[in-house]
Amino acid sequence: MKTTKQLLGAVSAVALVAMSSTPALAAGTRAGTTITNTVTVNYNVSGNAQNAVQASDTFTVDQRVNVNVTAITTPVTVSPIQTNQVLAFDVTNLGNDTVDLALTTALRGGTAANISNIRVFRDTNGNRQLDAAEITAGAITYLDEVAEDATVAVLVVSDIGINAVNGNTFDVALTAAAHTDGTTGSLGTRILATSGANTAGIDNVLFDGAGVSDAANDGAFSAQGRYVVSGAVLTVAKTSRVVSDPVNGTTNPKFIPGATVEYCITVANAAGAATATGVSLLDDLPADVLYSSAFGIFVNGNATCTAGTAGGTFAAGAGVGSRDRITGTLSDVAAGQTRSLYFRVTIR
Amino acid sequence: MKTVTTFLLACAAAVSLTAPIVPLAAQNAAPAVSVDGDIKSEKTVPDANGKTSVELVDPASFLPGDRLIFGQNYANTSAEVVTNFTITNPLPEAVRLAPDADPALEVSVDGGKTWGKLSALSVTASDGTTRSATHADVTHVRWVLATIAPGTSGRVAFPVIIR
Repeated sequence: MKTTKQLLGAVSAVALVAMSSTPALAAGTRAGTTITNTVTVNYNVSGNAQNAVQASDTFTVDQRVNVNVTAITTPVTVSPIQTNQVLAFDVTNLGNDTVDLALTTALRGGTAANISNIRVFRDTNGNRQLDAAEITAGAITYLDEVAEDATVAVLVVSDIGINAVNGNTFDVALTAAAHTDGTTGSLGTRILATSGANTAGIDNVLFDGAGVSDAANDGAFSAQGRYVVSGAVLTVAKTSRVVSDPVNGTTNPKFIPGATVEYCITVANAAGAATATGVSLLDDLPADVLYSSAFGIFVNGNATCTAGTAGGTFAAGAGVGSRDRITGTLSDVAAGQTRSLYFRVTIR
Repeated sequence: MKTVTTFLLACAAAVSLTAPIVPLAAQNAAPAVSVDGDIKSEKTVPDANGKTSVELVDPASFLPGDRLIFGQNYANTSAEVVTNFTITNPLPEAVRLAPDADPALEVSVDGGKTWGKLSALSVTASDGTTRSATHADVTHVRWVLATIAPGTSGRVAFPVIIR
């Protein structure tokens, strides 16, 4: 702080003009602003006005470093084998000077093997989704020259692996760390607290709180979002039952050559799972059975392989090792639902 | 002994804010008063009995929102009685008068044209409506002391908040 004294020639009080320009920001007066307080003293001795005396004191406004990160879209539902799944965040500079903000991500919950390629993109149009133009602009590692009170929308983007199953969760944290704004287009140096007494220049005070994975007053802040995996949980079963044989007919039939056997393939989706779509089945028949075209193939039957509708395809010799192949597509199998495909053969 | 007054003194110091440079006649009389300003912050200090007292300390930092004390230490360094002693303190734009300032403080909200206690002042908006003045409207603070005996000193101060 600087103190000066000044003798003035004027006799009357002089209202001096204020020194600094102060934008009305929530972050407050910009760091580096010089504030000077000057007083003018007038007095009389023996009834005669004396020269005015002036005194002033100056100080420099210091930098308050404060960052906030908020998860905007969480939790986000994803499916296994989905790429570019987005968690949207807002990053705000709450300090009183422009800063660069370094951005880093960390997986804080969930199986690391089932999530990969975690990147950060700038959400240029602020719609909380990853658009083609934003992908083209490329992944970022820092935000450049973020002004006081400015908020920047960013996207944390990840790929979900093939082995993620229904109910899995992944917690991804985004940390923003304050750096000096330096030159445009390059990341400045990490801002550290100024230790010791106040100096005449700009001192740094780290004001931030503790986020999910950082400490208070460390010049950084972190928040996390969650991916929740919603997958179908399918159980496929194939059973057979003998319908009739040449000797016993349909009364207590046995598995003997010439007997008719019904194959029942069921697809059951567990409760609470995502609907399975595009369910297609494929069955290569053993060599010792002959497909019964008179009965046909039924799809979308129930759990006991009845009430199906005609569908599916029989292709002779189309299977592995020239075996006969049955294919069929089921309608969407919702959670808790079972659909089936069934057909008949005769034992050669 | 009467001191001849009403002379103009050259502005000699290199650090000059907005003071006008005026031609002066030479005179060797030193000013009868000294004024020394300071900027402090208040620290609440508990003593051995657990009672707290307030100390004036040098601020550790100057951050927006911080509360500071702008003080002026004055003294009559002459052998004469000083009368009509006025300290006029325009507030820098980047600070505002703190809400807990002494209500008896003499302030101005119109750039130093009129003065009074804050509770008696009002502000006129551009559309002609008036409202009571608030601490954030204060542009100047001043103290007027009728007399200061020779050799005596004192201190005036007021709290501000950095915008």
